[in-house]
Amino acid sequence: MTAKLETAMEQIEIATGVLVVGGGMTGVATALEVARQGYPVTLIEAGEKVGPAAESRPRTGLPDARRLQDMAARLAQTDGIEVLTATRLDAAAGVAGDFKVWLSTAEDVLERRVGAIVVATEFDTAPLYDGYGLTPGGAVIGQSELEQRLAGDPGSFSGKTVAFVAGFAQSGNPMVMQRIFHCVKALQDAGAAGVYVYVGDLKVADDGLEREYRTGRDRGAIYFKLKEAPAIAASGAQVVIGFHDPVVRQQIEVTADCLVVEESLGVGAQCADLAAILRIDIGPRGFLQSDNIYRFPVATNREGIFVAGASREVRSLPWALADARNAALQVAEVLGDGTRLVPRDKAVVDIGKCTFCLTCYRCCPHGAIYWLSENKPVISPVACQACGICASECPMDAIQIGGFTDDLIRGQIAAKLAQVNGDPAIVAFCCQNSALPAGEMAATFRMSVPAGLRTIQVPCAGKIDLQYILDAFVSGADGVLVMACHPGNCKSERGNTYASWRVEDAQRLIAGAGLEPERLRFATLAANMGTDFKAIVVDMDQKIRELGKSRLH
Amino acid sequence: MNSQTKKVMVIGGGIAGMTAAWELARAGVEVALVEKAAFLGGYSIQYACKATDQCQQCGACGVEKMLANVIGEPRIRVYLAAEAAAVAGDGPFTVTLRASGNQPEAIDAACGKGYEKDPAACAAARGYSIHNAVFYKADGGFDPRRVAAPESVEVDAVVVATGFVPFNPDEKPTYRYRQVANVVTGLDLERAKRVYGDVRRPSDGALPKKMAFIQCVGSRDERLGHLWCSQACCPYALRSALATRFKHPELDITVFYMDIQNTTNSFDTFYEQCRQSMRFVRTIPVDMYETEDGGVRTRFMAEEDGLPVEEIFDLVVLSVGIMPGNDNPALAEMLGIGLGAEGFFARPDLLNTSATVRNGLFVAGTAGGPMTISGSMASAGQSAAAVLQYLGRA
Repeated sequence: MTAKLETAMEQIEIATGVLVVGGGMTGVATALEVARQGYPVTLIEAGEKVGPAAESRPRTGLPDARRLQDMAARLAQTDGIEVLTATRLDAAAGVAGDFKVWLSTAEDVLERRVGAIVVATEFDTAPLYDGYGLTPGGAVIGQSELEQRLAGDPGSFSGKTVAFVAGFAQSGNPMVMQRIFHCVKALQDAGAAGVYVYVGDLKVADDGLEREYRTGRDRGAIYFKLKEAPAIAASGAQVVIGFHDPVVRQQIEVTADCLVVEESLGVGAQCADLAAILRIDIGPRGFLQSDNIYRFPVATNREGIFVAGASREVRSLPWALADARNAALQVAEVLGDGTRLVPRDKAVVDIGKCTFCLTCYRCCPHGAIYWLSENKPVISPVACQACGICASECPMDAIQIGGFTDDLIRGQIAAKLAQVNGDPAIVAFCCQNSALPAGEMAATFRMSVPAGLRTIQVPCAGKIDLQYILDAFVSGADGVLVMACHPGNCKSERGNTYASWRVEDAQRLIAGAGLEPERLRFATLAANMGTDFKAIVVDMDQKIRELGKSRLH
Repeated sequence: MNSQTKKVMVIGGGIAGMTAAWELARAGVEVALVEKAAFLGGYSIQYACKATDQCQQCGACGVEKMLANVIGEPRIRVYLAAEAAAVAGDGPFTVTLRASGNQPEAIDAACGKGYEKDPAACAAARGYSIHNAVFYKADGGFDPRRVAAPESVEVDAVVVATGFVPFNPDEKPTYRYRQVANVVTGLDLERAKRVYGDVRRPSDGALPKKMAFIQCVGSRDERLGHLWCSQACCPYALRSALATRFKHPELDITVFYMDIQNTTNSFDTFYEQCRQSMRFVRTIPVDMYETEDGGVRTRFMAEEDGLPVEEIFDLVVLSVGIMPGNDNPALAEMLGIGLGAEGFFARPDLLNTSATVRNGLFVAGTAGGPMTISGSMASAGQSAAAVLQYLGRA
């Protein structure tokens, strides 16, 4: 037994170096955490400096600068950390445990072999003057400029009236609000005559912000929550801000000495390039993570590549540092002690059948497939998630997934259908991440499901071949359900999409064979939806009873 | 990891506690996971999926998966219906556990006739999840192979992941919770959705035609002294409303709110979708009364002119906020770690929000402050990493 197990598994050597991209505090924290676990780190930063100086992250509300500086200084004192400034990631190849990266410094291109990569880039930020039809100058300034002036000469605001606008040129964000709350406090401390804040929604969903807001208001700051930006008329040294208040039915105007315009907080400019180089999915607003709960907090679609802090979301520094620790934890999980035991049959390519068409390379959502020099595809057993999308897309049927080979699944279809007696025979292909546990939940909770229902487990709906569906009908199924995760909730990102396409194709094919297309249905559900699983299968059973037995047998 | 196996206690088996326990176990640590209730998963396991034809990233299915991870992990020893009674030492710590009194119901008694006869009891008796079902014997006791009896445990570190308590709407009597049948909390709605697969009016089990969500119930409330945003309720209510509306396109939904908080990076498109399919009213209703046919007559100040108006809804959902746990003061005193101004466990270091004032004691998830399911998981991962750092040093 043991010997058999050993031959089924293969020990892979894993490169234990780690590349961290980005020298802001998220990158610094990640590098320190990873190095502490004994893995050598290369930290690259496009700019000249690392630490707080490498960040455009708003400084308000952060722990005092010295602690951050101290943390950055620990980079130089820590063994096993190589810091390269003015350096960019030019290219990358390989897979988790065995990446090759090319780093271009000012003078040279360096090559490193690493087992994991963490992208920890910083925000890009800019005042949104255009969004308010304003030009900077005179009384109109950006948030950063106000912060600099308050740090330098707070007294200059004594007796002055200051207004803020936020949440109209972009949808708001707690970090934007936090900056405003801090400035409100500083202005009040400096003896400003009046502080007005015009906002859309007051975004206070982060630690302590509601209290800061209330405190500022109690000290006299006035907040106007509007649906549209107020009218702003700038004339030299002053600005007039007005809006119509429907409740008191009058125009409310404020003349301010200073109008502070909110600043955007967007994904760093280099992120699009990094996504292309690293072959990782780009999510909403350009952040380097798709909106998929399987990716939260720090994973990407590729094993061994992680994202932390501002490369994945707009949140405050404490959360970015939490990301850094999470990334270090996941890096350790991938690198381990430098070796990894993987099943030999996770995904096997029959080289004799392969015609080098590149389909598997293109459809693999995890970037787990690469080529050896003799033009042979290799599926990395470390990077592969065994979803089976490639196996089902391969036009030559040259790929088999361990535990889910074509022979095994087709054998199961025939065997399970042979057990159905009298009742409508329904085969449900169930993704093991969603429909399968939902079906188990229905069974465990003793929900009544149709007697002729037979479930077939698949690693991902992307593994459901067109052939399996046709097989089921030929082997005696009166109905077939293809049950996948909801779009956006597929562990392999697009397995459910492939499955839905194949169902459409199969519906055309069975119609050609004279079967009602309603005998084949595609459904999506989540792992915790036992009740919905039951509803879907009961509904299908009723439908099949209406249609009667399949005319194929 | 040191050659000698380290042991950590995680107090609280909600999403944060489970995540911390699993991450620690994966790193080779022996974990004692202590949960006061008779099931793992806390409030988060009681939430239903909120997908429309698209996943809305609520994270509820992630809780189910984490629970599956935990029950499949041999390094995690689970103590159910147990709580910490005393803590001694300064690292290592000796934690004395006692029974909390929350025993499981007998499954055969609650669910013997099958799910359809009494879905709510059937689901509750199994801890809302197939993965909790492994902890019980059919006669109602814990399976001793899966659940350890309360005992005294020596551990190298402790993670406090005791979570939150949903706001009790009795403290806002004008909402008439418990007096008007069709006024429910978000948690009530979620439990019902998990059990029945759909939204129902408690009064008659019918599908509502006109439904309202009221935001900030118990949160951002100066009069109650609750000066915090609960952070999870806007994402919760909007996703729930959108999912329900998707299932029942004829349903009329109103959301009463102060300020809508963000969800994920796709918030802009998500919120636009919400605005297309439901009405948003920026005011919080004043009071409500029951009509003769079970409707909820709701009085609020119209946004347009500030004048009072009344509208009748079939079902009103109170988006109750995240409140500090009732046991927090006693537990904080027992552990020698402080509470913050809002009553959650204090997190004095912004550079490591999993640290407490004492070495070897850490905090994870909503025990430290309001956060979402995904936030709790990130917080728990941070705590696990900080614990590993501490263990490596010790």
